Amino acid sequence: MNATIQLEQPRPLPVLTEDPQELIGFLAEFKEHDQLLDAARRAYAAGYRKMDAYSPFPIEELPEALGCRPSLVPMFALLGGMAGGLGGYFMEWYSMGRLYPLNVGGRPLNSWPNFIPVVFELTVLIASLSAFTAMLVLNRLPHLHHPVFEVPEFERASIDRFFLFIESEDQKFEQKRTWSFLETLVPLTIKEVRDE
Amino acid sequence: MSTSLRRQLNRAQATALVIGLAVLGLMVLGVFTQRRQFFFSYLFGWLFWLQLSLGCFLVTMIHHLTGGRWGYPTRRFLEAGFMVLPLMLLLAVPLFFGLRELYPWARPQDLATEKILRDLQAWQNTLGYVLRSILFLGVWIWMGLCLRRWSLQQDATEDARPTRYARALSGPGIVLYGLLGTFACVDWIMSLEKHWYSTMFAVIVIIGQILTAYAFSVLLLTLFRSQQPLAPVVTKTHYHHLGNLLLTFVLFWTYVSFGQFLIIYSGDLPHELDWYLHRIATSWKVVLAALALFHFFLPFFLLLFRPLKRHVAALTSMAAILFTVHVVDTYWLVMPAFHQGGVVISWQDFAAPIGIGGLWLALFLAFLKSAPLLPQHDPGLQFAFRYEHS
Repeated sequence: MNATIQLEQPRPLPVLTEDPQELIGFLAEFKEHDQLLDAARRAYAAGYRKMDAYSPFPIEELPEALGCRPSLVPMFALLGGMAGGLGGYFMEWYSMGRLYPLNVGGRPLNSWPNFIPVVFELTVLIASLSAFTAMLVLNRLPHLHHPVFEVPEFERASIDRFFLFIESEDQKFEQKRTWSFLETLVPLTIKEVRDE
Repeated sequence: MSTSLRRQLNRAQATALVIGLAVLGLMVLGVFTQRRQFFFSYLFGWLFWLQLSLGCFLVTMIHHLTGGRWGYPTRRFLEAGFMVLPLMLLLAVPLFFGLRELYPWARPQDLATEKILRDLQAWQNTLGYVLRSILFLGVWIWMGLCLRRWSLQQDATEDARPTRYARALSGPGIVLYGLLGTFACVDWIMSLEKHWYSTMFAVIVIIGQILTAYAFSVLLLTLFRSQQPLAPVVTKTHYHHLGNLLLTFVLFWTYVSFGQFLIIYSGDLPHELDWYLHRIATSWKVVLAALALFHFFLPFFLLLFRPLKRHVAALTSMAAILFTVHVVDTYWLVMPAFHQGGVVISWQDFAAPIGIGGLWLALFLAFLKSAPLLPQHDPGLQFAFRYEHS
């Protein structure tokens, strides 16, 4: 169930009859990405932390505006890359130098220049696999359904509209106050998001 | 451009000119005392500054094709950089009198003993070298003059036609540069060794040129970023993007340099080994170790970090390191062909790059003064400064 407010009309408070336990948060819709950025910055300044933003294209300043912490993905990529590189070198040195020593044109058994391509490839492979896996795990993906999908307007989040979502779990969240705060941002619509 | 800045630039230009002429004058001594050393040092100094000009030329064309906000506040530096090319053609003339000192194919005693050099005579001869040098530099100078003229025309008109011309020239221009640049690298550097050839070599040199031009743009951007009209538009994002480009070309340079080495190491063929025997087997390996450290490991690991790329002083220091280490790289390409037994450093190795660099900088500053520091009316400009991160 979603309550809609069209801001061209007078702004009544939503009818908050249902069990407040089910309320997941409020979703505000914007026409321009500048407005979303501005809204995110003002929501952060107003003390909201548990919020998310949706946009059809990446907006680089947005994570900063939402107060996202720096992502851990690069660290996992670095660790994975180092593991891949060192593991690759160990594999080559151990198999070519120890398990099955092979004299190739009189070169030393530990002939490092020839080992570099495999080290390079394994560094890239393991780094990208760990970055990909870390991204999925840290985002708790795959996540097939989210309550915001129930809002009909939300499908335009992948076309031409920009959304700011404030979760009801936020410490500052308080139905009436948060609703009127969102109104001060002059969105196109504000929707309630409920868990069905 | 403010009058106080203009006065500072005039003073810098005069200083560079005086130092350049004085040091080059001093080098005349070298012609009489250490003739071979003179020509090798001169080739090294000339090549370094020529590579910077050519890098500026390439990066300007790349930006005309790709766009990107990093290219607008740096375009005038790059343009002034390639406008120095006519001076480099003039400074190539002394080399033409020292071909016998530099290249085995011009020395009768080497020609007599080496069949390969005799077989290559139809291509590798003095007249061919001189004509090709003039032809290649002439084509690049002409293309550079066109790019500069259109850029200045665009300043005066809202009509985007000059920018479209520049873009139309840049696509074929880069392809043509790759072709001519390959022949130029064979003539100027590769033929210093008797037998050696590598199809990867021109790529390594050209990537190095681009890297040097990016490092140079970062240095110039830091010097001029508080001047009008750059001050209100230059942000950390410009540094971030230039930092990413530096990282890209550090990686690219390492990839092709190591690729060439690995192929020759794996092939282990006598006629391919000379190059590396002269450059690794002797005390030149110390120079190579410095290159590995400062041309790859240090910039690679530091440039991975986003905060460093967004920190003006840190990225400028990194650009200064890369610029300096590329001087060493050019030295390592040229000089071991002469001092095959190990590193021998002569006063002329310092005099040549300083002298030629003085003249280069004087002319560079003259061109920098002659146009506004920020191009006007380029259709890309309206988006370039609108958002902090884009």
